[in-house]
Amino acid sequence: MARPVFRRVDGAEEALRRVAHLDADRALVVAARRDPSRFDALYRKYLAQVYNLAYYELGNHHDAEDATERTFVAALAALPRFEERARPAAGEGASTFRVWLFRIARNVVANRRRELRRHPEAPLDAAAAIADPLDIEGGLDRRSDADAAWAAVARLPADRRRAIVLRFVDEMTTAEIAGVLGRSEGAVRVLLHRALRTVARELGAGGR
Amino acid sequence: MSFAGRDASEIEALHTDRYLEALLAQRDLGSSPGPHPRSAAVAGPIAAASTAAGSAPADSGPDETAAVANEGHVDPAIAFAAARLGRDLVRVHPSFRFEERLARRLADIAAAMRLPAAAGAEGSAVPVIPFPFGAESDPAADAFVAPGPAFPRPVLIGGAVASAAISLAGAALVAWRLGRPGADPMTRAIRAAHQLRDATLPARTRLD
Repeated sequence: MARPVFRRVDGAEEALRRVAHLDADRALVVAARRDPSRFDALYRKYLAQVYNLAYYELGNHHDAEDATERTFVAALAALPRFEERARPAAGEGASTFRVWLFRIARNVVANRRRELRRHPEAPLDAAAAIADPLDIEGGLDRRSDADAAWAAVARLPADRRRAIVLRFVDEMTTAEIAGVLGRSEGAVRVLLHRALRTVARELGAGGR
Repeated sequence: MSFAGRDASEIEALHTDRYLEALLAQRDLGSSPGPHPRSAAVAGPIAAASTAAGSAPADSGPDETAAVANEGHVDPAIAFAAARLGRDLVRVHPSFRFEERLARRLADIAAAMRLPAAAGAEGSAVPVIPFPFGAESDPAADAFVAPGPAFPRPVLIGGAVASAAISLAGAALVAWRLGRPGADPMTRAIRAAHQLRDATLPARTRLD
């Protein structure tokens, strides 16, 4: 018969295993805390995602680069204070580090937007990048669709727009978006639902 | 999931959320050879229905996806908008030049973040050579020295000199005070009584 002390140790180990299993970035974060130069792995992993958020929020590459740089520098400096809070509701493969990093990015972007006092109303250049250069007609249609989609998203209120970008560009779950935006999961569901309704109306759902 | 106590908009938002999760899982399934951790939980029936219907998950356009939407009782307009955004909100990547520049900056910050040296260890470490018998001492002279380490511990040269100097100064002060006639009558009387007592005491009781 096992003594209680052994059961307690087993329970703690099991909890540790569960957290490690849940948080996809645990090993990278632990390594970066021990040796800050190992932060490079986290940086490479999330650079594009953070950049995407900044780009869709700020509307141009220059501001997006600036916001991305500020985000990662702030994250590296604050890494010793980062607390891992993986929980079963976040789902497998979730990363509390990603949510934490995107919260920093959201603040940086919001500050930058306040500085600029403008909204990214202009169509993004990204649509041109995906068009097939040989398929000129198809490429133009595609770009036109992308412009229309982005214009519809850009007219949304800030929280809805941010939720849409996190969902469709950064492919975050509802729980992760809730973590980034600092709202409940229910509130995020409603945000997304209403945002999609508005976008559908703008794009003339039912026809094209 | 229970819908009890929720109003119609919340239920719609829940359906939309479930549908979006399924889309995300569907995209994961289409883009990676192995099952994504998140896909197993949410892809389920919708992904299966999509595959059975012959639609390619990764290339499914708005029309195909809207058809899949009925699996989760989602408004076709919302499904259409979700499909358009999933297709048209493209992901962008920063330039490699920016990526490498920021990587270098982060590496510099990481290097500066490493633990600073302990107080007093700012300079370079200097090996302490035992005095006077160092590693490079004369072997002929060593022959006359008793075996064993002459100075097994590091020597604090400056402290030893200082304490020796204080000791010499103290001895000199005591000798001078003893040989010097007293400044006032009381001092002279005390000193005379002390000398008389030393002279009259038996030799065995004297400390010196």
